[in-house]
Amino acid sequence: MYSKQTVLKNLTGLHARPASEFVACAKSFESKVTIRRLDMDDAPETNAKSIIKVLAQGISVNTPIEICADGPDEQEAVDKLVELVDSKFGED
Amino acid sequence: MRILKGNPVSRGIALAKVLIYKAFKADVHESYFEAGLEDEKYKQFTDALVAAEAELEAIVASMSVESPEKAKIFNAHIEILKDEEVAEEVKDMIFSSHAMPDYAVDMVFTEFALLLEKAKDPLIAGRAADLRDVRNRVLRILKGEKEQNLSSLREKVVVVAHDLLPSDTATLDRAHVMGIVTEVGGATSHTAILASSYKIPAVLGVPNATEIMKKGELVILDALKGQVILEPERATVTDYEAKLQEFIRTEKETAEYLDRIPLVASGERFSVGLNIGTTDPDAGFKYVDFVGLFRTEFLYMQSESMPSEDEQFAAYKKVLANAMGNPVTLRTLDIGGDKSLPYLDIPKEDNPFLGNRALRLCLEHTELFETQLRAALRASAFGPMQIMFPMVGTIDDVRAGNAAVEKVKADLRSEGIPFDEKIKVGIMIEIPSIAMIADMAALETDFASVGTNDLTQYLHAVDRMNPKIVSYYQSYSPAMYRILGKIFKEYNEAGKPISVCGELAGEPLAAIVLFGLGLRKFSMNASKIAHVKRILSLFTLEETENIAERVMNLQTQSDVIAYLKAEVAKREKKLSEAAE
Repeated sequence: MYSKQTVLKNLTGLHARPASEFVACAKSFESKVTIRRLDMDDAPETNAKSIIKVLAQGISVNTPIEICADGPDEQEAVDKLVELVDSKFGED
Repeated sequence: MRILKGNPVSRGIALAKVLIYKAFKADVHESYFEAGLEDEKYKQFTDALVAAEAELEAIVASMSVESPEKAKIFNAHIEILKDEEVAEEVKDMIFSSHAMPDYAVDMVFTEFALLLEKAKDPLIAGRAADLRDVRNRVLRILKGEKEQNLSSLREKVVVVAHDLLPSDTATLDRAHVMGIVTEVGGATSHTAILASSYKIPAVLGVPNATEIMKKGELVILDALKGQVILEPERATVTDYEAKLQEFIRTEKETAEYLDRIPLVASGERFSVGLNIGTTDPDAGFKYVDFVGLFRTEFLYMQSESMPSEDEQFAAYKKVLANAMGNPVTLRTLDIGGDKSLPYLDIPKEDNPFLGNRALRLCLEHTELFETQLRAALRASAFGPMQIMFPMVGTIDDVRAGNAAVEKVKADLRSEGIPFDEKIKVGIMIEIPSIAMIADMAALETDFASVGTNDLTQYLHAVDRMNPKIVSYYQSYSPAMYRILGKIFKEYNEAGKPISVCGELAGEPLAAIVLFGLGLRKFSMNASKIAHVKRILSLFTLEETENIAERVMNLQTQSDVIAYLKAEVAKREKKLSEAAE
């Protein structure tokens, strides 16, 4: 199990294209990957490979999040996803 | 002849035969199979997914060149189809509960659609329609039925349906669909948005339309008035054929004006502004000089809890980016006892429009007000922004609003948070008591904008929500133009900017008078821009001044309207003679 925290900085939030890119990236790894927002106590661990579940979280700009992976490529998965989030998905 | 009524959501007129479109309707019942058939049933499901993906890929391929935007919808459908959680849950229902594949698909997709609908962001909630669309596709394939859509029609038709799904509208044969009638749907529905972007006349919310209307019969769709005319008489058809030609001609002429620099016939420039109420980047920013009214209520209405400072800041910053450097006038929260918010106690009142609303409410709820002002001021560091208070009746109100801004500015300064130190703060003029002392208000405000809807309501003592007394709501009364003339004169003399952001600024007849009374800043909804630019280009400054003078001295609203129509008709006639 490996995890990292970051803050979503792109204006669109984890919606639309950024959400699609995020999920596609998560799916490219074998490990089980989850995302959780840290600004709400009862936020569930969400399957990062499910576009619908990710969208339903409605994660908007400036939301702190934790990305967690469990499996053979867990570290690479988390690092890549954090890198993608921190790149603001190419916005501005 | 029979007339059905509905919401005209996309302007226009159509005369064509009826096509009743009945999309596949999934008839799914709770049903189970006998143990032992799990693998077979699961294979039916995975086969259906493969077939659905193939259909979607074919649509994407056929669209990606011509309309890549629409192809995106179907790429999103493919994503949904490949959603791991959905597939897992369906699989689980098949293997653990022995649910029939169609029942499992229906249950799981519906559950996920409900999950999305709960999202605060309307864009995400809107994705639930896509999910239902994909569900129907999979269910149809499971039933072994062929794909049907509106993508290739043989003749021109008015499509009549219960509702249209995103996949129906995106593949619509635009050369043959002349109009749309649906039984459900309002102005913000998916169908409405699509119809207006395609400029297909549409009347939505016509109950039982698919039962009342008959396939193949001629129908007139009047999407200006919101009427569907069945079995029209010959004279009505002839009449509408002429109206359609006229509509096409004026739309074309008007469209040419959208991009033009706004000038009157004698060469004086005026400014056209945009009224917005969302963070939509395609609201029409490229055709305007400023954003005269940015309504902020949407942030509060769509939220279960008070929108945070950061949430508001992000939205305001986004709007500034959308406006591409043009100034944005942000109106602070404008609600009262006619609305309710889950997180704020606003008691019901007998007269909400005369009650504790807008600025009055904000001054009472200091935290709510200061949070919004902080977000607005922080955003002002990123682009030209102005703050405007609604529902100002006295100089006391002006001072109280200004004081709140000064307090928040001081807080931000002490926290070292940047904002525009020279930010302009102004007021809406919509209460007659402040209009009467506009000269004094001008001294204590940086600018003002007239809200003509509320001004009409308060000047005439008419509740504009009460359908019984609409005829008393007279925005063309001589009294309106006398008071508007006074407001413009006082602000112009004080050298402070004055604009109108109410409906009147976007009404061609009224715009002529407003210009004549000295107004140079007109802010309106995007759909009005071309009309106003065009009408004002037909008049010289002197003509508008004479017209305004005359209007203020006519006795009744009907006199005013008749006079203005005649003045416009004179010029239109000259134009068409010159063209021949």
